[in-house]
Amino acid sequence: MKFSLFLGCTIPARLNQYASASRAVLEELGVESVEIGEFNCCGYPLRNIDFKVFLLSSARNLALSERRGLPIMALCQCCYGSLKKADHLLKEDASLRNEVNASLEREGLRYEGGIEVKHLLQVLHQEVGIKAIKERIEKPFKGLRIAAHYGCHALRPSRVVQFDDPVAPSLFDQLIEATGAEAVDWSMKADCCGAPLWGVNDGLSIDLTLKKLTDGRRSGADYLCTACPYCHIQFDKVQKMILSQRDLNHPLPSILYPQLLGLSLGIDRRLLGLEMNEISLKGIEERLA
Amino acid sequence: MKVAGWLRSLSKIIHLKRFSRTWMGKQLTMVQLMELDACMHCRTCSSQCSVAVAFEGIPNIKILPSEKIASIRALASGDGLTERDLRELQEGAYLCTNCYRCTVVCPAGIDLQKLWFRVREILLQRGTPEFLLLSPLSFYRGLMKEDMDQRDYEEPLIRAREAMAAGWELIRAKEKALPLTPKDKRFQDKLGLSAQAKTFSVCFGCKTCTTVCPVVANYEDPQTALGLLPHQIMHACGLGIRDLAFGSNMLWDCLTCYQCQEQCPQGVYVTDVLYELKNLAMREVKEKTWR
Repeated sequence: MKFSLFLGCTIPARLNQYASASRAVLEELGVESVEIGEFNCCGYPLRNIDFKVFLLSSARNLALSERRGLPIMALCQCCYGSLKKADHLLKEDASLRNEVNASLEREGLRYEGGIEVKHLLQVLHQEVGIKAIKERIEKPFKGLRIAAHYGCHALRPSRVVQFDDPVAPSLFDQLIEATGAEAVDWSMKADCCGAPLWGVNDGLSIDLTLKKLTDGRRSGADYLCTACPYCHIQFDKVQKMILSQRDLNHPLPSILYPQLLGLSLGIDRRLLGLEMNEISLKGIEERLA
Repeated sequence: MKVAGWLRSLSKIIHLKRFSRTWMGKQLTMVQLMELDACMHCRTCSSQCSVAVAFEGIPNIKILPSEKIASIRALASGDGLTERDLRELQEGAYLCTNCYRCTVVCPAGIDLQKLWFRVREILLQRGTPEFLLLSPLSFYRGLMKEDMDQRDYEEPLIRAREAMAAGWELIRAKEKALPLTPKDKRFQDKLGLSAQAKTFSVCFGCKTCTTVCPVVANYEDPQTALGLLPHQIMHACGLGIRDLAFGSNMLWDCLTCYQCQEQCPQGVYVTDVLYELKNLAMREVKEKTWR
């Protein structure tokens, strides 16, 4: 199992713990990952501006990975959605592919539709498998209730992303339960975190985020679990920013999945970067059996 | 040799003093002025820029970090930049994913990212609307809002929205009779690329998209807050009424969460149509305002 690891722009600059925890977990589970330095922006924020610029941006990454003969594994769900969409279009539409390749060729690159795009959670669920993960668990959690936040761009549009059942998804819940934690049932689990509007329409963004947090809390969750840097930053840094603004005092902390898994796999906690959270994750390690 | 060295330092001081007297120079720190002087234009930053590829589609060379800093330096040394140059610099400074790669690789050790953050805000305060604010590129700005004056933070956003809405007068003229013929075929023909063969045309008005939209559900009176609702935007596309489609707040408040597209029983690519409309609106309003 070998993949090119697509980190994107947000993780290295702002959420390095997601990268280091993922690398540690993947190594522990026997998944080899290669980092391609020439990767550029996946195109997600560029899609608001110009479609062809978005497509070219995404396609360049696909071409770089195809040149090494490796499938791409994205850690960010916005990256995943973008790369998947570009891949889907380029695989289906030969004239579009030719047009994009005409631009890429100037750099000596080409994309022929020969690789797959995956997200970290898919790789863990499908390639590694729940059984294999459970076998490696050193310290399962006990009495820990987690609300899985799936993330929009991983689930939808399902025809393109083919990640999980879009209405009743379960793979993230299964991955969480593999660690011994209980994945709570909450009605808003597939809803948007609100991050796409943060910085654009803050009032609306916060309203949506708070709805999710309230639902998570009401369902009895101790922590939210995320697998996307935007979602995580929204539930962590932005939640902290709005706590005083909206007069709230019980934050619902968010943990990234490889951090949760890493703890129960017994990985060196220095690689997991738990202290880098703005809303403290103190107390989660006490739930390990 | 000693005299040459001393003369060099003196000229540097005079040089920097000149920088610090200009409109741009006054708003930067002394370290930043020295950094502007230190730039060798080696273009290493541009070679690592995450969004350099955008230059292939958006013909603004100031998207590239090396060109951004050259422009800033020109401004700081008192060179007159045209209004067009300033708009390009504003766009280039904002078209950035804040990934820090340029900063990490700069051989002169210039804190480029900090320069972009600062220059971005300086330019936005001038008052020229920046439409890129209405995109996820603003996420990072939002994360820094506590470090800035609230009005300085909000005003550029308000200006961008207003300038965008100003281009499409029909959305505001509620009592005006709309001519439905001749149909704006040009508008309809443009909607095709990412929306994949004009799927809006199969919409039969069931309103499922509007019903499942979390943004619509957030308001007591969504019609007033958003202008047009998703199903109405599809209908506007069908009728070829570009003004209504472009001028709605719904377009810029869309989360791109894809619930509408997922649930549509007819297979209308609702979110993708909204994306396409955003792209067309951006292009048209930019053409109008940059002339």
